Amino acid sequence: MIAPAVVGIMVFQYYPVLVAVVHSMQRFDPFTHAPIEFAGLDNYIRMFTGADFQTSLWNTLLYVVISLLIEIPLSLGLAVLIDRKLPGTRFVRIAVIATLAASETVAAIVWAQMYSPDQGLLNGILGVFGLPPQSFLSSSGQSLISVVVMSSWKNIGIPTLIFLTGLQAIPRDYYEAAAIDGAGNFRQFTKITVPLLRGSSVVVLFMSTLAATRIFVPIVLMTQGGPNGATSNLVYYSYEQAFQYNSAGTASAAAIFMLAFLGVIIAIQFKVLGAKDE
Amino acid sequence: MSRATVDSPGRPVARRSTRFAAWTVAMVIAGMVFAFPILWLTSTSFKSTTAFLSEAFPLSWKSFLPSEPTLANFLSIFENFHFERNLLNTAIVSGGQILGSMAVCSLAGYAFAVRDFRFKRMLFALCMVPAFLPAEALIVPLYDVVKSLGLVSTYWGLFLPFVCNPFGILLMRQAFKEVPSSIFDAAQIDGASEARTFLLIGLPNVKPALATLALLQFIWSWSSFFWPLVAMQDPAKQVAQVGMANFATAANTPLYGEMFAAATVLTVPVVLLSIMLQRYYVNGMMSSSVK
Repeated sequence: MIAPAVVGIMVFQYYPVLVAVVHSMQRFDPFTHAPIEFAGLDNYIRMFTGADFQTSLWNTLLYVVISLLIEIPLSLGLAVLIDRKLPGTRFVRIAVIATLAASETVAAIVWAQMYSPDQGLLNGILGVFGLPPQSFLSSSGQSLISVVVMSSWKNIGIPTLIFLTGLQAIPRDYYEAAAIDGAGNFRQFTKITVPLLRGSSVVVLFMSTLAATRIFVPIVLMTQGGPNGATSNLVYYSYEQAFQYNSAGTASAAAIFMLAFLGVIIAIQFKVLGAKDE
Repeated sequence: MSRATVDSPGRPVARRSTRFAAWTVAMVIAGMVFAFPILWLTSTSFKSTTAFLSEAFPLSWKSFLPSEPTLANFLSIFENFHFERNLLNTAIVSGGQILGSMAVCSLAGYAFAVRDFRFKRMLFALCMVPAFLPAEALIVPLYDVVKSLGLVSTYWGLFLPFVCNPFGILLMRQAFKEVPSSIFDAAQIDGASEARTFLLIGLPNVKPALATLALLQFIWSWSSFFWPLVAMQDPAKQVAQVGMANFATAANTPLYGEMFAAATVLTVPVVLLSIMLQRYYVNGMMSSSVK
């Protein structure tokens, strides 16, 4: 009964990893794209010494850090807001679910129009407040953060719902008891809510990190990794190597590197969070 | 006012009601910020490309609402670009992914929850680990695998890799675990075959989980872009997400009107569906991330 599932998972999940490992150590014929000889670590060496790769690696880290900085406080705030039984709660909840259900493709295309420097809506809104127009996606300083903002808008539903589940698991009596003892809203938040959301926070940290390293569709549709590689990340690097430079070996090396990279980041997160427990 | 006098001496109630109002305002702003891009996209789809380009900036009410609403974009994507073909392709791929996944994941979930067999724990772990593999990083080698199976540019190639989904297996296993095991034992004592037990006793008891799985797979396959971009090279069989993106990227001058219309067609039904089936959707999203 489990045979179809196991076979499917072996063929479409594990086997590609194996293929990537093998291809990452092979040289390919530039015309037929067939593997021709064992290349050892050549692909890795070429990759690590290339400036494109170094930028992409650095950008991947930036994507993770900035996404976490935006998504964790924002999703916690939204969850607290939705948790209150007030008029409008349903509206916020529905809006967040809507962003989650809309496709990343649509999101990227719509945001690209809002970001447009000459005819974009965001510059229109900035203008109302007397602020100068920004170049957003076309400036190397703002493009990465613009991609992160769009992607956080799209993904915020998941951490919000995780925090919301966590909040709803906190017994109401804790707050009542604290209120009787004279603790104000802020103290209740820092002394009860935050510590009891630790479990949820670990999950959010983990999910958001995974999501931020995987950002791809917005990059392809909004910036093509530009300007000058400013928004390229490891996924985009691998895609470019494979489908634009026909360099299957380097693309596979990048894929393997990314698996290792994610493994290390997540291991560090567990280690740091685990150490805090003691 | 009348409540204030009944409740208690003025001030605390007044303070509570201002705070109430402040929270409500916060709600409306937060909701608007998140809903805005979707509302704006829908409203813009009723504008001609020229109107869109001239009215977005500088800001006026015309930046948000169509000054001369038109259905021309919607007519154009179907009449000139046969977007319905892209939609049909997406429907075929989604259908395959949903049905395949319901079959494969419920079988595996049933076996993992109800039956005992050798290496069960190990096999279950084997099925769960891929949940942590970043799919985007493995698109390139996955393409090589699908190519060697001869499935590039086929409908099968688009959905088969996603049928065996770790979340789906987990979801179905949890659902079958919640069914009292005495039901399955009774069926076995009565001499029902494994297939009968699964089909006639197991499946009817996990309908909500099956619905959740179907909904999630529908939304995932409906939204999928990267994989069809890579694995479908036959324009006649291309899915709607890629078709929509082509309005923005393929032509010399982007066809903004058509692009917004296609985006609306792709977004509004799914968003409404996810809102109507909120309970299933949220539960599914949660079990696919938390458990």
